[in-house]
Amino acid sequence: MSGKNNMTVDEKMATVKIKIDKEAHITVKKEFCKKCTTRTCLIICTAENYKWDEERVELIFNYEGCLECGACRLICPEGAIDWSYPKQGCGVKFRFG
Amino acid sequence: MEKTTCIIVGAGPAGSACALSLARKGIETVLLERGRTPGEKNVSSFVLFIKELKRLVPECMDELELERNIVRSDQIILSDDDVKTITSFNYKHIRNPVTFSAFRRKFDAWFAKKASMAGAELITGMTVTDLIIDNGRVIGVKVGDEELYADVVVGADGYHSKVAERSGLNPVLDPGQCLLSVKEVLNLPAEVINDRFQLTDGLGAELGLWNYDVNNFKSGTGTLYTNTDSISIAAFASVADLKNKNMKLHAYLEKFKQHPYINALIKDGTLREYQAHILSNGGRIAPEKLYGDGVLLCGEAGAIMDTMSGMGVPTCIVSGMMAAETIEMAVKKRDFSAGTLKNYLKYLDSTSLLDMVYESSKVGEYWDGAGKDEMPDDIKAVADCYNKWWDVDYMSKDYYPLMANLFFKIGKHFMPKILRWPLGAAIKITSLYSKTCEKIKSKIRSRYYEWKKQYDG
Ligand SMILES: Cc1cc2nc3c(=O)[nH]c(=O)nc-3n(C[C@H](O)[C@H](O)[C@H](O)COP(=O)(O)OP(=O)(O)OC[C@H]3O[C@@H](n4cnc5c(N)ncnc54)[C@H](O)[C@@H]3O)c2cc1C
Repeated sequence: MSGKNNMTVDEKMATVKIKIDKEAHITVKKEFCKKCTTRTCLIICTAENYKWDEERVELIFNYEGCLECGACRLICPEGAIDWSYPKQGCGVKFRFG
Repeated sequence: MEKTTCIIVGAGPAGSACALSLARKGIETVLLERGRTPGEKNVSSFVLFIKELKRLVPECMDELELERNIVRSDQIILSDDDVKTITSFNYKHIRNPVTFSAFRRKFDAWFAKKASMAGAELITGMTVTDLIIDNGRVIGVKVGDEELYADVVVGADGYHSKVAERSGLNPVLDPGQCLLSVKEVLNLPAEVINDRFQLTDGLGAELGLWNYDVNNFKSGTGTLYTNTDSISIAAFASVADLKNKNMKLHAYLEKFKQHPYINALIKDGTLREYQAHILSNGGRIAPEKLYGDGVLLCGEAGAIMDTMSGMGVPTCIVSGMMAAETIEMAVKKRDFSAGTLKNYLKYLDSTSLLDMVYESSKVGEYWDGAGKDEMPDDIKAVADCYNKWWDVDYMSKDYYPLMANLFFKIGKHFMPKILRWPLGAAIKITSLYSKTCEKIKSKIRSRYYEWKKQYDG
């Protein structure tokens, strides 16, 4: 727990309990992302799970740290993001939702 | 092949209300929830309106673990160097509390347990992945490789509803029809909260935050409210809007938190939990899309949501109760076709729910970001409209005028003459009285439209 102002999203995410699924509940057709000019997923994700790797010129994402809002699934202009709920009992576990 | 009468997908307020009602009617019900405990997947800014719940579970107040009785609502227009506030303090609600802050993890678990104690079979840790459809008729659900069959499947699985999607009732979600929300729960000692918000133990306050302009992004809203020993602060904005304006919602929330006015209230609060969730911004599903062959949608899966006030829980509970009435009728008729399940609309219509949802859904348009990122300056209008929802009762609808008229017209012929006059007069008076109620209601409605016009203008 932290009281400081301006915590980073990563620091905030440390307060969230997640049971990590071995299987990814998000898959991205990364070849589509190369054409994408908007990259809205980088903006919409409140867990900042999507990042653009300039060097490798590809989208990197981290399904383990997902808050399961599903916003990314709605906004991908290329329809490249396949998002579903994590399977049986896995994923986020809010204690104070 | 395992078969039951009714499968309910999702143990949120809608699903549990439906399961509890069905179980009490003695109808075999299975309630499936993807969380290991009901509520652990869910987020609300959670101010719980208790009226609807009380009808279903009169003893709820003794059993629920609630945080604070919300008696004050402040609606605030924020700008960098100005704060305009309208406060309303509802003393009535100290004597007769209707609104509470609460945590979903406790609330949903309690509610689902109520349903299971009444006889519904609650199975947690079950993510429904698909529906089983035969000849256009929903006959069951799939959980991975497992199959479960039922006469009727109720989709109470919230915004990203698998049931709505796979049944074809609402196959595609539109980013303009939903709000993204991000929320932080901040630890603060109860005394500090009492001090800063001028409260005593057990009483709580809620703030609605409007119109804050961050880099030309104004269409976000916020809420801040007190729990027993924590404060919840959340920001909301349309997903389409965030996309169009390239705005990070969590950055927007951070701006709220840094505003001097807000900062003074939450200062030294340590982060307990960070959360995000999505919610429907109103009734964009047409009523005829709430039912199909072997399937019904309740709660947010059917966009049964009061956007105007941001209240989903009471409306979802009422829709779950009405779905149960419909299913009881279908069980009696042994017919689960769309033709019978259509009666769901009649049941919904017997409450004020659909009217309310559809009127209130129009508000959703303002969050669509169709160039309308101005909130009305007249905060009074916002506050007025907002506060009237404290007294909304989604369950009741006046049938007096109709019944009284019928009675008067037909019944009088069968009545002894001496009785006719006094009885008739009594009925006329009640009917006049309820007509006045209707008039008041329609006045409130027109006030809302005026307010809407201001938005539009
Ligand atoms: C930040 C925020 C603040 C809010 N504030 C308020 C407020 O102050 N007051 C208020 O009344 N309302 C509020 N709402 C709205 C309210 O939370 C929702 O409208 C309400 O919870 C919807 O109830 P529901 O039962 O339809 O769906 P949900 O509460 O979403 O429940 C759906 C359930 O189904 C489960 N589920 C989903 N998919 C599956 C699947 N495939 N298989 C199995 N289970 C599944 C989920 O885990 C969940 O438990 C708020 C919402 C948000 C996001």
